[in-house]
Amino acid sequence: MCVSLSLCLVRWSRYNPYYLDPDPSKDARVPESELSPEEKELQELKTVSPIKAALSSDTSSAFNDPLISKFINMMMQDGNKILARGIMTQTLETIKRKQVEKYHKSPAAKREEIECNPYTVFHQALENCKPIIGLASVQKGGKSYQVPVPLTDNRRRFLAMKWLITECRDNKHRRTHMYEKLSQELLAAFANEGNVVKRKHDLHKMAEANRAYAHYRWW
Amino acid sequence: MAASGCRGVRSILWKYGSCGKNFCVSRSKTVPQLPVRQICVSSSLWKKNLAAAGPQKFTQEFIDKQVEEFEVGKRHLANMMGEDPETFTQEDIDRSIAYLFPSGLFEKRARPVMKHPDEIFPKQTAIQWDAEGRPFHFLFYTGRQSYYSLLLLTGSRWLLKEEIEEYLVENISDHDYVRLIQLMEKLLSMPYCSLEEEFILKFRKQLEAQSSKHEIPALQYDPQGVAFSVADGRRKTAKASITLRDSGSGNITINGRNYLHCFPLLQDREQLMFPLHFVGMLGRFDIEGSVEGSGHSAQAGALRLAISRALLSFVSEGEVERIRQAGLLTADPRIRERKKPGQEGARKKFTWKKR
Repeated sequence: MCVSLSLCLVRWSRYNPYYLDPDPSKDARVPESELSPEEKELQELKTVSPIKAALSSDTSSAFNDPLISKFINMMMQDGNKILARGIMTQTLETIKRKQVEKYHKSPAAKREEIECNPYTVFHQALENCKPIIGLASVQKGGKSYQVPVPLTDNRRRFLAMKWLITECRDNKHRRTHMYEKLSQELLAAFANEGNVVKRKHDLHKMAEANRAYAHYRWW
Repeated sequence: MAASGCRGVRSILWKYGSCGKNFCVSRSKTVPQLPVRQICVSSSLWKKNLAAAGPQKFTQEFIDKQVEEFEVGKRHLANMMGEDPETFTQEDIDRSIAYLFPSGLFEKRARPVMKHPDEIFPKQTAIQWDAEGRPFHFLFYTGRQSYYSLLLLTGSRWLLKEEIEEYLVENISDHDYVRLIQLMEKLLSMPYCSLEEEFILKFRKQLEAQSSKHEIPALQYDPQGVAFSVADGRRKTAKASITLRDSGSGNITINGRNYLHCFPLLQDREQLMFPLHFVGMLGRFDIEGSVEGSGHSAQAGALRLAISRALLSFVSEGEVERIRQAGLLTADPRIRERKKPGQEGARKKFTWKKR
């Protein structure tokens, strides 16, 4: 456990650093023998450390998904969680409806390939939107270069979600509802089409084009 | 005589209020051949330097005397109140003082108080040097001898910065604390660190004890023989109090109304069901409660905490630990951050103008 030197006093928390994150899921515990030594250590640590309070958006139900919660928070404007959550529910419902319609219209041979579970569709679409490599601006010799740089998991997830939301807010027809726009974009991303996936591919191409500057990265 | 002449000169200088001017001092009577020395004298020599004195220091005898007086005064107070001096606790003292000296002041810290001197006088380091002015510790002139001596010696564990400051009675900055922890880690990674085990244990973080020390509310039985338990919960400024009754059918009544009326939002109702769903006893209990203050989300959070606490008396030990690890038993400490002067809100600043 290494304490970082960068002490940012602005982003502090009401909890002292020893508090661990809670785990509200209800699933059955993995038996002792199948745990690796790190997991055993983590379990030991959990028994002696205090735990933070569970968030008010987390429950133990099967429908609670951390990725969906994160997406709802990113969509939320001015703290209007009710609206954001409503939009998300409507999006998932629209996806389900469209997929079920497609399922019933297609011949028996192709029915197995159609994914009707909106949660799987969402996860897969998000995966398809995540960039693998990103660009960072590095100043060297008076000029700033776009250097290809590996991205952390959090950053990739954030970029994918951000692109989806901005795409739906800006580039669509004004009269359509947000849930419609979102469901269209998600289904397109699920099939590896659409503007968001295109944007991801553009970023990859830029990174490939700037390969020569990769050695400017020192971290 | 030269000496009296000196005094005369000095008195003339005093009369004309010229401090800080040179004047001659000579011990002409004893050693007439010594040259006359110019010595600069200013008022800073004889006036007390208030800034350099630092915080007021109390000697050990003073503190001991205060402790003695406190003990004697405690016995007198007990006699005055007609209680037994042997079993007179601090709470009794506080009660008696509040009774004998009723104060209408709003600031609690301005009211008369009688506490043990150790709690009133701040802890100070003892005198660090002997009669000749030589310091005892070889690291005295670093200014922070306790801190630097830690770095030389081995051993560590991770107390928080505040706890280490309390232990050392010295101020350390964040950078110092981080450096301390880094060196401690490095030390533990070396072989033979077990030689300094006891010193390491001194800094052992005190979180060794089991963290599942939550008070389980007592299980009560009403005249029909049905088990029930009562618990409270708080979140932001919302206060909730509930009664969890066994052999029920999952009805939830809050402030006399059905929970569907109180919480039209799905998220709040999910929060109410969360603890029961987690232990799998959704349809078993009847909940009757009251909640006041704050908004709908905070009220739901307060109720959730109250339900989890009441549930502890119906559930086994292993389950209690699982509920704790789900984060259901911790009171959420997040509250509204105050607005600061010179800023628009808690974090938002006024528009920055370059000039």
